[in-house]
Amino acid sequence: MEPQERHYDVNKLNIIFAISSCVLLVTLLWMLAQDYAREWKDYQRAFRALEIEKTRVKYDAAIHEAKDREEYRALEDQLKGAREALAKDCQAEAKAQEQKKVSIENDLLNQQYRFAKAEHDAARYRLEIAQANHESYVREAQKEFERLGRTVSQLKLAVEQSDQKLAELQKATEICSSQLVELERKERSLLQKANILERKLAKIDPNGMNLTNRIADIVRDLPIIDLANPNYKIEQVVVKDITEDLIFAKVPEVDRCLTCHMGISNPDYKDAPQPFTTHPNLGLYLGNESAHPLEEFGCTVCHGGRGRGTDFISTAHTPSSVKQAEEWEKKYDWYSLPHWEKSMLPMPSVEAGCFQCHGAQTTIKGAEKLNLGLNIIERAGCYACHEIDRYQDWPKPGPDLTKLSSKISRQWAYRWIESPQTFHPNTWMPTFFKQSNNSNPQYLKRTAQEIHAMVAYLFAHSQEYPLTSIPVDGDIQKGKEIVSAVGCLACHRIEPRPVGQPMTQDTLRREQGPSLSGLGSKTSKAWLYNWLKNPHGYNSKTKMPNMRLSDEEAADAAAYLMSLRNDIYDTVEIPAIDETTLNEIVLDFLKKSETFNSAQQKLTAMNRETKLTYAGEELIRHYGCFSCHDIAGFADEKPIGVELTEEGSKSVERLDFGFVPIDHTRQAWFAQKLKDPRIFDSGKVKPYDEQLRMPNFYLSNEAIGAVTTALLGFVHETPEAKIVPRTPQRLKVERGEEIVRMFNCQGCHTIEGEGGSIQSTIKDWLVAYNDVSENEAGAMVASFSPPNLIGEGKKVQAQWLFNFMHQPTTIRPWLKVRMPTYGLGTQSLNDLVQYFGALDNQDSLFEHKMEIPSSYPDGQWQAGERLFSKDYFDCAKCHIIGSQMPRGSPENWAPDFALAKARLRPGWIEEWLENPQELLPGTKMPTYFDPDNFDTAGPEDILGGDERQQIRALRDYLMTLTDKTPTQPTAPPP
Amino acid sequence: MEAIKDFINLVSRPQIFFPVILAVFFFVFPPTERLLAINKKLGLYKLWTKRGGIILFSFLVIAFAFGLTDPHFTKIVTKPDNVPIIGLAFLVLFFVWYSMKQAWENDQRIASGLRPKEAEDAKEKILVWPDLVYIELIAIIGCTILLTVWAIILKAPLEEPANPTVSPNPSKAPWYFLGLQEMLVYFDPWIAGVLFPTVIIIGMMAIPYLDPNKKGCGYYTFRERKMAIAIFMFYWLVLWFSLITVGTFLRGPNWNFFGPFEYWDVHKLEALTNINLSDIIYMIWLKQQLPQNILLREMGGFLVLLFYFGCLPLVLAKSVFKSLYERLGVFRYSLFVIFLLMSIGLPIKMILRWVFNIKYIVAIPEFFFNI
Repeated sequence: MEPQERHYDVNKLNIIFAISSCVLLVTLLWMLAQDYAREWKDYQRAFRALEIEKTRVKYDAAIHEAKDREEYRALEDQLKGAREALAKDCQAEAKAQEQKKVSIENDLLNQQYRFAKAEHDAARYRLEIAQANHESYVREAQKEFERLGRTVSQLKLAVEQSDQKLAELQKATEICSSQLVELERKERSLLQKANILERKLAKIDPNGMNLTNRIADIVRDLPIIDLANPNYKIEQVVVKDITEDLIFAKVPEVDRCLTCHMGISNPDYKDAPQPFTTHPNLGLYLGNESAHPLEEFGCTVCHGGRGRGTDFISTAHTPSSVKQAEEWEKKYDWYSLPHWEKSMLPMPSVEAGCFQCHGAQTTIKGAEKLNLGLNIIERAGCYACHEIDRYQDWPKPGPDLTKLSSKISRQWAYRWIESPQTFHPNTWMPTFFKQSNNSNPQYLKRTAQEIHAMVAYLFAHSQEYPLTSIPVDGDIQKGKEIVSAVGCLACHRIEPRPVGQPMTQDTLRREQGPSLSGLGSKTSKAWLYNWLKNPHGYNSKTKMPNMRLSDEEAADAAAYLMSLRNDIYDTVEIPAIDETTLNEIVLDFLKKSETFNSAQQKLTAMNRETKLTYAGEELIRHYGCFSCHDIAGFADEKPIGVELTEEGSKSVERLDFGFVPIDHTRQAWFAQKLKDPRIFDSGKVKPYDEQLRMPNFYLSNEAIGAVTTALLGFVHETPEAKIVPRTPQRLKVERGEEIVRMFNCQGCHTIEGEGGSIQSTIKDWLVAYNDVSENEAGAMVASFSPPNLIGEGKKVQAQWLFNFMHQPTTIRPWLKVRMPTYGLGTQSLNDLVQYFGALDNQDSLFEHKMEIPSSYPDGQWQAGERLFSKDYFDCAKCHIIGSQMPRGSPENWAPDFALAKARLRPGWIEEWLENPQELLPGTKMPTYFDPDNFDTAGPEDILGGDERQQIRALRDYLMTLTDKTPTQPTAPPP
Repeated sequence: MEAIKDFINLVSRPQIFFPVILAVFFFVFPPTERLLAINKKLGLYKLWTKRGGIILFSFLVIAFAFGLTDPHFTKIVTKPDNVPIIGLAFLVLFFVWYSMKQAWENDQRIASGLRPKEAEDAKEKILVWPDLVYIELIAIIGCTILLTVWAIILKAPLEEPANPTVSPNPSKAPWYFLGLQEMLVYFDPWIAGVLFPTVIIIGMMAIPYLDPNKKGCGYYTFRERKMAIAIFMFYWLVLWFSLITVGTFLRGPNWNFFGPFEYWDVHKLEALTNINLSDIIYMIWLKQQLPQNILLREMGGFLVLLFYFGCLPLVLAKSVFKSLYERLGVFRYSLFVIFLLMSIGLPIKMILRWVFNIKYIVAIPEFFFNI
C-alpha cells in the first residue's frame, strides 16, 4: 500500500497526545488532592492526636489509681486463688472438654431436627394438595407424611435429651465457678473507669488497634471512599428555630464551628491551644443543663460569623485588635469576608450578642461590659440626641434650664458651655467647643460669640424663681457632717473620681448627680438652700430627691457646700462680645431661610441684644442643646442625632470614615467616633453648619469599649424564638428595674444582689464622726447603711410599701442616712410595688390586714409574750418598739415592732422567725429555731414545745405591738 | 513612573481615548481607496505582518506587565471575574491580527496575479482521521487541562446570598452585556436597552441581504471588501470589544470613570453638568425661556434627527456612497444607511456628551421619550 499523504506527522501527534494525557491525569489528581485537602481535616487530625494523648494520660491515671488500691490487690490474690482452685477442684479442663463435645452434638441434632421438620411440613402440603386434586397420589403422600412425622418425633426426643445433658453439665460448672464469677465481676467494677477509657483508646488510637482495624482506619478516610463513614467529617448543629434571612427564603441556622472547635464543650480541654479550647463558661453555655444548650442555640446566634463556613476565613472570624489582625494575616492569610454583614463579634465586644435576646432587661447578669455600656449610654444621655427604642420614654438627661437665671451667673454659664470638663472632670455635660474640627483661630473667635449668644438666649428666656431667704446662718462644720451623714454622698461626690480609677457600674452609681466640688463658684447660697429644701419646686421633674432637711440642717448644708469653691475656674477669661463675628453668625442663619438682601436688611434692623438671642436660639437648635435640657421655646423639637436602634446592623459602607486611616469595621468606627467625635471631619472642606457637631464626652478607653459593645448589640435582626419571653411578670420586673436604675435606688440599697454603693461613704462617716477605727467601721457599716432589699416583696405589705415610698417614715431610728422623698407619681409607685412583688413571685400583692380573732385560744397570746420576754428570746434587746429604744448598743438595733402590723406580711414573719439566714444571708437576727434540729429547737415549756405553734404565737403577739404597753386584744363587743 | 501612570490615566479617559480610537481606526481599517492610500503611505499595513504582530503583542505584554507593577491595576485585573476579559483581550486582538495578516498576504498575491492561498489549499485533500479528529482530541484534552487548572488556581468568585437592600457598588452586568450597560450612560434605557439590541439583531440578520458582494468568499482578503470589513471591525472592536474592556476595567463605583492606575474611591464625585439640546438653543443661544409647548421646545432636536435620518442618506447617496447606491438599489441602500447611521449615532452621542455636555437631543421626560 502506498503511504498516505498526511497533513500532520502522526508520530508527533502521538507524542503530543501522550504528553497531554499525562498532564491531564496529573491535573485530575491535583484536583482530587485540592478537593480532599481541607483546613479542618488538619485540625481534626491534630485534635485526634491531642485526644489520644489526653485519654492515654487519663487511662494511665485511672488504671494506676485502681490498681494501687488495697482492695484491688487483695482481689487480685483472691482471683488467683480462685482460678487455681477451679482448675484443681472441679477438673475444669476435662469438664470443659466434655461440654464442648456435647455442645457440638447438640448443635448437630438441632439442625437435623429443624430440617426434618421442614421436610415434614412440605410433605403435609403435598398430602393436602393430593387429597384435594390428585386422588391417585394420596396413598403415597400419606405414607411419606407419616414416615417423616416419625423421624421428627424421634429427633425431637434426641434434642431434648441432649439439651438436658448440656444443661446439667453447665450447671455443674456454674456451681463450681460461682465464686470466680463473682470475683471477676468485682474486678470489672473496680476497673470500670479504666476499662471505658481503654475501649475509647482502642477506637481512636491506631497504635492500639489490630492490623485489620488499622487498615480500615486509614481506608475510611481515603478520597471518595470517605463519603461513607470517615473519621474526619464536618460536625454541625442545625438550629431549626433560629433562621438566617436570605431575603427570599429563611433557612435554619447551621453552625459548623464544632468541626474545628472540637473541644469546645469538653471541660478536659481548658488548657488546650485554640481551636480546641473549652468554652470559658460551660455553666452558662453549651451544656445541656445550662441556659443556652448547644443543640438549641448553636454558636453564631451569639457570636455572629458565618456558621456554614468551614475554614478560618469563610467563617468570618474577627480579630480582637489590630495586632491580632496582623498575626492572623501572617498565620492564616486572613482577610475579612467582604460581603458578610454579620461578621463575628470581636472578643472584647462579645457581650454585644447578649443584647439581641436580653435587650429588654436593664441589667443582663454576667454581661458586665455590656451593662456598663448601657449604663453609660443612659448617663451620657446618648438617647436624647439619638433615638434608641429601648429608651423611648426616658426623661431628658440634663437639668432644666428654664429657671436658669436664679441659679447661676452668665459668666459661669459661659465658662461651663465653653469647657465643662475644666469645672467637673467627671461631668456628663459634653464639650462642644475647642474640638478637632473647630479649633483653628478663626473658629475660636466664632466659638466665643456663639457661646455668648447661647447664654444670652438662655438668660433672656429664663423664668423667675422666687427664693425664700435663709432663716439662720448655717454652720459649715455641721453642714459637712449633715452632707456626709444623710446620704448625699450616695449620688454625689465631693471630689471627682480620682484620675485612673476606671469607670464601673459602682462608680456610676456614686456619680448619679454632679460632683459637689466648686459648688460655691457655681450658684448662690440662697438658691442652694431652696434647692435642698424643695428640689421639685425648682424642677418638678428632677431626680434629686427631697431629703426632708430641717431649716437649720438645710442652712448648714448650704453653708458647707458654698464653702467649696473653684477659684481657678472663676478667673477663666471671657472674651468680649464682638459684633463683626456675631453679625457673621446671624447672617449665616438668616441666609438659610431668607434671600441675601432681606437677610442683610433684617440684620441691620437688629440691635445687639436681638442678634444675640436670635443667634442663641438658632445655635441651641443647631447643637441640639434642647435634646438634653428643657429650654423655653424648644418643646416640640425633634432630636438631632442619627437613630441608633439598629446601629449594630448598619452596613459599614454607610459609615463615613472620611480620611481617617482606621479599619473599616463598625467597631473601629464607633470607638474612633467616641474617642474624638469630630475626627471624621479631618481633611474635609466643609462650611460651618455642615461640620460634625457631636460633642466630646472624654470617655476613657474602657468606657469606649463598653459603649462600642452596646452599640454592636443594637441589631436589626433578632432570633425571635430565643428572646427571653416577656411575660406579665417579666414586664413588671423590667419596668421596676428601669425606675430603680433611673433613681439610683441601688446607690443605697442592694437590690437583686447589686448596689449598696453608699457603704464606703458610711464607713468614712463612721470613722470621721463616730470615733471608731477603720476596722470597727468596716464591721459596723452594714448596720448603719440602708437595708438590703432582698425579698422585699415577700416581706412587706404592698399598701405600706406604697405609702412608705410616697412619704417615707422612720423605721430604723439609729440610721442617720435617710430614705429620701422622690416625689414619684402614682404610676411609678405602683410599678415599684409590683416590681418587688414580681421579684419574689408574689401573685397577690394585697392581702387582708391580720386581726387577732375573737376566738383566739386562751394562753396563746401569753405564750407569745413569754417568748418575746427577756426570759426567752428577749426581742426588745435589739428591736425598737415605738418610742421604747432597745437596751443594746445602736449598731445592733433592729426595726421598730410598732410598725410590724402595718408593715410586715404575717407569712413572712413566720418564715423569718423560722430561719432568718435563709431569707437574708448574713443578717444579725439570731436563729432561734435551728433548722437542722427544728423539732427540738424551741423551748420545751411553752405550748407543749411545739415549734410551729410557738412561731405562730410570737407572730400574733408581734402583730399586736403598738406604741403602748402590749395587751391582749379583746373581742369586740357583739 | 508616576508621571507615566498619570499620563495613561489621562489618555484613558473616554473623552480622549475614544476620539483618538475613532480617528485612528479608519486609517488602520481604511474603508475607501483614498484612506487605503494614506494607510500605505504611513506603512500601517505592516502591522499585519509577522514583525508587526510581534511588535503589537510585545507592546501589549509589556504594557500589561508594566500595569502589574501598580497595586490598583493589579487588584482589578486579577479579580477572578475579570481574568477572562484579559484573556479575551489577547485572543480578540490575536485573531484580528491573524486574519488581517492572511488577508494582506492574499491581497499581495492577487495584486501580483496569483490566486489566493486558500485556492491552493482546496486542491489538497486530507483525512478526517487522524488529521482532524486527532488534533481535535488533543485540543479537547488541552482545554480540559486549562479549565481544570484555572478552576483550581482561581476559585469561582461566588459570593454570599444576594441582599436586595445592599447592592454592590459598582453593579456590573455580565461581561457580554457591559457594552449595553455603557450605552445606558448616553441613552435613555428604552433606546440603549430595547431599541439598540433589537436593531443590532435585525441588522446582523440583514447583513447577507445587504451585502451582495461575492468577492472574498472562501478566502481572506481586505482590499476586495474594504468597506464591509471596516464597518464590521468598527462594530466589533470599537462598539463591542472596547466598550466591554472599558466597562470591566475602567468603570468603578457609582459607574464613575477611573484610569487604570487610579484607586476606586467610592466617594469620588464628578460634576453632573449635562444639558439638553433645547436648553442650548433657547437658553444659551436665544437667551429665552423654554417654550411651554413640548413640540416647539424640542423642535431643534427633531430637526436634527430629521436631517440625520432624512436628509443625510440622500446627501450620502449623491456623494460618498454614490457607487454603493448604484450597486445596492434604493431599498437595500436605505436599510443599510439607516443601520449605519444608527450605529454611528452611538459614538456621535458619546462625543456630543463629552464635548458639549449634551444630555439629550430630544428630551421629552413628560412621555419618557428622550433621544
